[in-house]
Amino acid sequence: MSLKSFKSVGWVAGIAATALGCYMVNLKVASERASLEEVENRIVLAQRDIRLLQTEIGTRGRLAQLEQWNVKVLALSAPKANQFLEGSFQLATLAAPHKVVDPQAPVVLASAPAPAPHAAPVVDDDGPVANVAPDTPAPTTAIAPAPKPTSPADMMHVASLRREVTSPPAKVAPQKTVEKPVLRKTAAATPVKTAASKMAESSARPTAKAASAAKPKSAPPKLNFAKSHAKEAATDR
Amino acid sequence: MNAPTPALVARPERLRLVGQRRQTLAVMHQRLMFGMLLYGGIVALIVLRLMYLAAFGDHAGRKGLVTALVPARGDIVDRNGEPLARTIDAWTIAVQPGKIIGDKLDLARKMAALMPEHDEAGWLQILRSNKPFIYIRRRASPGLVEQINALGDPGLALSREPDRLYPQTDLAAHVLGFTNIDGHGAAGMERAFDETLTNPHTRGKPLVLSINSAVQQALEHELLDAKTTFSALGAAGVVIDIHTGEVMALASLPQLNPNVAGNADMEARFNRSTQGVWELGSTFKPFTVAMALETGKVRSMGQIYPCPLALKAYGRTITDTHPFGRDCSVAEIMEESSNIGTAQIAAQVGATDQERYLKAMGFLDPMPFELKEKGRPLYPREWTPLDVMTVGFGHSIAVSPLHLATGYATLFNGGVFHAPTLLKVGPGHPVAPGRRVFSEETSYKMRALLRLVVMKGTGKQADAPGYRVGGKTGTAEKIVNGRYSKNGLNVTSFAGVFPMDEPRYAMVVMLDEPKATAQTFGFRTAGWNSAPTFGKTVARIAPMLGVRPDMKRDANMAEVLPFVHEKK
Repeated sequence: MSLKSFKSVGWVAGIAATALGCYMVNLKVASERASLEEVENRIVLAQRDIRLLQTEIGTRGRLAQLEQWNVKVLALSAPKANQFLEGSFQLATLAAPHKVVDPQAPVVLASAPAPAPHAAPVVDDDGPVANVAPDTPAPTTAIAPAPKPTSPADMMHVASLRREVTSPPAKVAPQKTVEKPVLRKTAAATPVKTAASKMAESSARPTAKAASAAKPKSAPPKLNFAKSHAKEAATDR
Repeated sequence: MNAPTPALVARPERLRLVGQRRQTLAVMHQRLMFGMLLYGGIVALIVLRLMYLAAFGDHAGRKGLVTALVPARGDIVDRNGEPLARTIDAWTIAVQPGKIIGDKLDLARKMAALMPEHDEAGWLQILRSNKPFIYIRRRASPGLVEQINALGDPGLALSREPDRLYPQTDLAAHVLGFTNIDGHGAAGMERAFDETLTNPHTRGKPLVLSINSAVQQALEHELLDAKTTFSALGAAGVVIDIHTGEVMALASLPQLNPNVAGNADMEARFNRSTQGVWELGSTFKPFTVAMALETGKVRSMGQIYPCPLALKAYGRTITDTHPFGRDCSVAEIMEESSNIGTAQIAAQVGATDQERYLKAMGFLDPMPFELKEKGRPLYPREWTPLDVMTVGFGHSIAVSPLHLATGYATLFNGGVFHAPTLLKVGPGHPVAPGRRVFSEETSYKMRALLRLVVMKGTGKQADAPGYRVGGKTGTAEKIVNGRYSKNGLNVTSFAGVFPMDEPRYAMVVMLDEPKATAQTFGFRTAGWNSAPTFGKTVARIAPMLGVRPDMKRDANMAEVLPFVHEKK
């Protein structure tokens, strides 16, 4: 009886609770949606600010302004046709280390055993090669004869420009006195002992012996002759 | 019985009263009921509405729906997306004289210190005027707005209004145009695409032009340099992609700042590249030779024409600036820009074919493209035999520099005319349909001819080493009041194409009334002013346009070199 009379109240309460629950959910969703919109709004506002700043930067850095600065201060110009490269290979050639010519460095010439001995003394522009023995093997190219090589080191000939350069004291080799200008005319006749000593003496006193013998017509040795070697220069010509 | 008898029966009037009352009561009940229902209905309606809003409606604190940034007027950008025109919110300062509460004299003094365009008396006059609202500054700087705000008078109104800004100022001003005070396009692309730029559905996307701003800047700078050096009245320049018809740069001097277009005079607003039509002189000669090649009148670059010192034709004497006085080949006629030789070639082509080809190249009509500022070419009405000769070397016909650039594009892209366009060619905007004017063979043969002009002829100064420039100088006496100027006022132009071994871009440079300088040894022909400008511009813009300089490549000069008389 009492339960029956409360039934309608229960209904009302139930419906009210459900409605309230639904409403709460709705409210929650609405608030979430609102905060999302707030974020979206802020994004748009930020985008607007970015746009404004971009416009300002663009205006301050406009091309005409850059050009004006360039004309007045930087003076940069468009690259010339020869400043464009074909590809990575050409670029690499630019990056290659720059060759520094060291005038003191010895000029090392390779030589090979002469093919056949010549009976007659070889005469070239330099005049007769006085010290050459008739049976000494001489190359056809009128290069001064060399003794039969006994070791690879003997195949090395060292030539150098003769210049008035002060040699570093550390490299003054003990055999310096052995080397005398007398022997210079026939470079090949110079007794060659070891490559090491050869290097040492040549760097100690750079001479034109091999250069003048090997390439009689080459100009640089002549040009670089110092006054003290004028006699040699004369024979050289 | 005499006593009055109680009224046993109600008096009829009384009865009537009761009936009336009841009736009134019923009516009252009815009305009350109706009112209650109405009230209840309204309440129910409100409740229902509230419930509906609670369920589906928006919340109270909701701001305007701004989910995307749509400007009040669409942006205009160049082909690389660099903004050329934008609408931003700018500060506007106005004064409402009726709302001023402070001392007007004091306020006027402070305003004169901040904004020196009026003095104290001037500001006082404005503050005392009867008008309700007066704009005093549009596009005010934030600093000024802050200072005005600090004055603190409610009569000074500060507001933000959308305003058109051209960040690159002068750059491509004649292409962009400008807007009027209502924010509608008044010139250029702003006018041509006003509908697209203001329509809410389309203005969100920027309008992409075919202009390359770096190229445009280089062209404008070199033209300005030339204009200053040669004290010219004006200058014009057009760079066009010959395969698509896209205009890469289009300049007209004197300069115009679209931000303050109202301050510019008509001379500056005039677009010399598209609106102005000029007799462009010898730059027409390649067309005459191409027509002759096409119609079979000229079969080889070695074809010989008599080139006397002067040619009398139909009552007029045609002369040359570099007279031959001997027979000369077609190659030599082009190399030394001989009017006499070209006139004879044109006469061979004839009026009908000449008109047909010029029509096909679009030289007899306003150029079909986006800008509304376009000039109508002037050409002879009768097309007499003398006109045929003079048109052959670019006189008696006036076209715009854009026409000329399009003509060169047509001649060197293989012979197909494409209408020029200021919009970037891409997915939404295909290349304009072409129509064949010249054969590919003619187009190929002309390359060597124009390269010869630059290598050995009148256009030597237009050469940019490595870029294989080919082109033709053009000097025409200016028409002043309907007659050719006798004071030597002329319009010089250089029209050319690069790189000549595989043409990609055509460019026209024009100077209006250049003067002689010491550097030009007193000459004011195109070879001395327009040609070097062309060369300098090519050297700057070609790398930007992706043209690789190459000293080892060139056009096939074997086509023409055998027919050039070598000077001893």
